[in-house]
Amino acid sequence: MSGIFIYSERLDIASELITFAREAGKPAVLLALSADAAQSAKNLGADKVYYLKGESPLAESYALAVAQLLQKQGSELFAVGATASGRDLAARTAGYLDCAMVSDVLSVSCADGQIQTERMMYGGAVLQRETLSGLSVITVPPGKFESSPPGLAEVEVVEVSSDPRVRLVETAPIVRQGTDLSKAERVVCIGLGMEKKEDMKIALELAEVLGAELGCSRGIAEERHWLPVEQYIGISGAIVKPQLYISMGISGQVQHTVGIRDARLIVAIDLNDKAPIFKAADYGIVGDMNQVVPMLTEAIKKMG
Amino acid sequence: MSRIVACYKWVAEEADIRINADLSVDLSKAKGKISDYDRNAIEAAVQAAEALGGKAVSLTFGTQKAKASLKDVLSRGPEEGCWVNGEEADNADSSVTARALAAAIKKIEDVSLIICAEGASDTYARQIGPRIGAILNLPVITSVAKMTFVGETLQAVRKLDDCLQTVEVELPAVVAVLPEINSAPIPGLKAVMAAGKKPVTEYKSADLGVDLTPKTQVTAFKGYVMQRKNIILSGDVGENVAALVAALRKEGVL
Repeated sequence: MSGIFIYSERLDIASELITFAREAGKPAVLLALSADAAQSAKNLGADKVYYLKGESPLAESYALAVAQLLQKQGSELFAVGATASGRDLAARTAGYLDCAMVSDVLSVSCADGQIQTERMMYGGAVLQRETLSGLSVITVPPGKFESSPPGLAEVEVVEVSSDPRVRLVETAPIVRQGTDLSKAERVVCIGLGMEKKEDMKIALELAEVLGAELGCSRGIAEERHWLPVEQYIGISGAIVKPQLYISMGISGQVQHTVGIRDARLIVAIDLNDKAPIFKAADYGIVGDMNQVVPMLTEAIKKMG
Repeated sequence: MSRIVACYKWVAEEADIRINADLSVDLSKAKGKISDYDRNAIEAAVQAAEALGGKAVSLTFGTQKAKASLKDVLSRGPEEGCWVNGEEADNADSSVTARALAAAIKKIEDVSLIICAEGASDTYARQIGPRIGAILNLPVITSVAKMTFVGETLQAVRKLDDCLQTVEVELPAVVAVLPEINSAPIPGLKAVMAAGKKPVTEYKSADLGVDLTPKTQVTAFKGYVMQRKNIILSGDVGENVAALVAALRKEGVL
């Protein structure tokens, strides 16, 4: 069956990608790479489910089998949920097909047999629009489309050989040293403009009155080790979507600001009035954080 | 002696990028640099070479501008440098870059491990490691936060979205490492001096015998401006704080 082929181990993204296929007017064909996944996949409202049955428990080890199926079935596009595992499978499949791939699209649309994509470059400073023709691969972050209404699909089992070379030894849940910033409603964020580790106190006090989580720039986590790596915000770190984000001592390099693009309100406090963060901010105060932040904390406290 | 290849990209410093009023992008003033995350990949290759008793080799695909990267990368520890020189690098998509790098890797003798960063700081497409693996039909491990070697077996800890996964593979293999795998040291003066004496092999892209035509067609490349209010207060701190609190209340976030 031709159409848009979809893979995501996350059912929410898989469901959203089914909606994308529907909006494009194409059949939505879902891939499942384990018996459990096939069981869940059949109820998501796709037109068809292929269960690629092989030996490996690792999704990434099915790239060659996926590439062969896409070619055999005349797939028009392979849309994959942008997770660590999904990106790997997608890129390896694109490698076997030697075809175009656009990673982590900001938007995607399909018209007249061509796929149009937009994505960010240079950490969010530049927008690139691309056209893909022929069988191509994209990875799509969550939340780009509505969920599809559920519905039952036929499951076809395809026996395949998975790549046996990478062996799974064990899986352990991530013990988060920090908090899950991606779900925080309010975030207070510190950058290298903070001079001493003791000054983190002012940020923590502000975070406390706001009920906010504490985040930081990459330098604070990876160079100074003041906070765990899970707490840095930016292109290679956490992507946050809070109602309110307040930064102090963050200069606002693009690698950081891409991580706060979806915040509803951005407030910046920095000594340097030319810091790029002010261009990315809704409200800014030019001043010494050691003066501004405690006063802000007091003022919010007084509001009750 | 087996070789551990560190792939890296010479990219424009994004802080130097100017966005013009018409949203066109001016890269002419941007200095070049080794992509931030690649510095960790290079250090990982140096450490892996020590553990395996091999030799770290750096590899890049770039235009004439990338020549400036050679001394820099060799000061970070690799013993040999390799450069695929081609103007195609300017318009390369990930498929082109992966084909060029894979073709060069085939020319390097006795490769036991290929290390990439997850992504480059300009495109951050995170495709190169897996694509090289597919082209060379080597096993691939991505999102690697830790590597240990026992003989010719690599054990890697992958940091996925919700779990840590330990996997094993016999070398040769391709890995894509996360920046947290190590802290890449800033090279000292001695290392910088020594870098100039290390051997560099240059390949012309045309001599690789691979098609370097991009698979994607770029139709727009323009500045992205966040639509924000940009109300910036300076002057009396007390007044500013009061004004900010009032504004945030009005916005309904306090």
